Amino acid sequence: MSEHLADSPHLSGAMLSALVDGELAGEEMVRVEAHLAECAECTRRALSESLLKRGVARAGQRYAMPEGLRERVMGAVAESRVATPTSQNRDVGHPAPPPKQSLDGAPGRSRNAWILGTAAAVVVCVSAFVARDMSLSGAAQTALVNEAVDEHIAAMAAGGPEVVSSDRHTVKPWFQGKLPFSFNLPQELPADVTLDGANLVQVEGQPAAQLLFSIGKHKASVFVRQRSGKAASDAERNGFHVEGFHTRELDMAAVSDADLARLRELVKTMEQAQQ
Amino acid sequence: MAVLSWRRKDDAAREGVRAEAEVRARFEALALPLLPSLYNTARWLTRDAAEAEDLVQETMVKALGGFAGFEAGTNFKAWAFRILRNTYLTSRSGLAARRTVALEEELEAGGVPETAVEWASPELELMRLSDRAALERAMEELPPPLKEVVLLCDVEEMKYREIAAVLEVPIGTVMSRVSRARAVLREKLTAEGTRAGGSLR
Repeated sequence: MSEHLADSPHLSGAMLSALVDGELAGEEMVRVEAHLAECAECTRRALSESLLKRGVARAGQRYAMPEGLRERVMGAVAESRVATPTSQNRDVGHPAPPPKQSLDGAPGRSRNAWILGTAAAVVVCVSAFVARDMSLSGAAQTALVNEAVDEHIAAMAAGGPEVVSSDRHTVKPWFQGKLPFSFNLPQELPADVTLDGANLVQVEGQPAAQLLFSIGKHKASVFVRQRSGKAASDAERNGFHVEGFHTRELDMAAVSDADLARLRELVKTMEQAQQ
Repeated sequence: MAVLSWRRKDDAAREGVRAEAEVRARFEALALPLLPSLYNTARWLTRDAAEAEDLVQETMVKALGGFAGFEAGTNFKAWAFRILRNTYLTSRSGLAARRTVALEEELEAGGVPETAVEWASPELELMRLSDRAALERAMEELPPPLKEVVLLCDVEEMKYREIAAVLEVPIGTVMSRVSRARAVLREKLTAEGTRAGGSLR
């Protein structure tokens, strides 16, 4: 992008921006300064860029905080919970979050904190690769479900998928190079079902795609990961439907608090898209 | 025996309460000074006073909830703005904006030629660039991905590195978006100036 003008003797728009934003250093700065010293045209453009920056800075400070907002916010904050130091969250974490740790055995308390802490609590959905291995003990299955629950609630609480798009042509390529497998997104979704976006997640330490859908007013997650052998089983947990299914290469699990029949429609569409 | 263990539990509870109070105090010291900035940004993004207030409140509640995951000494402002943005993106108006306005992809592909806009004269340019009302109108019309980047860069005076952290994109993308945003602003100012009539030229 910044090299549109690579052949031009003049500074590119990106260079001018970087200059007035104080983002140039070292050799680049030397090169730009040398050019400005002998180019009246670019000097004029640089001045203009700097004027625009100052103008935007002024015009942008447009809205004073309304009276009472501070008190209102502090009131809401006082009533909400502080997360425990052990709880982790990917999306409200650091700019470059570390790989998420397994949340096996994470205290239920941290999940509750997240539920309380988010206005999105109404749209909780759960997902699980319940039976990756049929020999899994009941306890291990519970831990898996908990991991998925935490994973999902973390995503909900953070308030946004990593890639926000209703366009499968945006969502699918986004995963390229991030996952060791590929999958298809349906060309057409069932009525009143929309794709909201997607996250890259870890389930049991394996990379997986989390696709977020809206089924009417309900949210649904479809997790997709490489086939690991055994079929996932269907389950219901705390009022959430868990539908496990698989293709030759992929394990998938769909979870939602939406009507089971409607969730199955989505499952079927996803299944068909893989053929 | 029973009394002893009871007392121990009591101590632990008191300890917990004190620790939480400390966390809250630390959070407030960092968060309160940011409220005016967060509100201003929220208002630009949502274009609605009530929605902006809700957005700021939700952001703060989420930030407190995730505060344990925030590393002391790192950039709290960038972190808070990132939560604000993510919250906005999944709000009703944020999702609607995403759907109706160009997807980022299209934005990367299309865009505005960087040197497309030439000013009629330096005097005119000076005049337009300092016309606050015209600038406000031009900013309002910016597509969300460009609007947010100029708000963070020029109004909040964040470095590209910080903006990259807020938007979760590479620094190079920040740079090209900033420059595209300014090109679009120029174009809009010029168009408005031209429409405004014959005094210009």
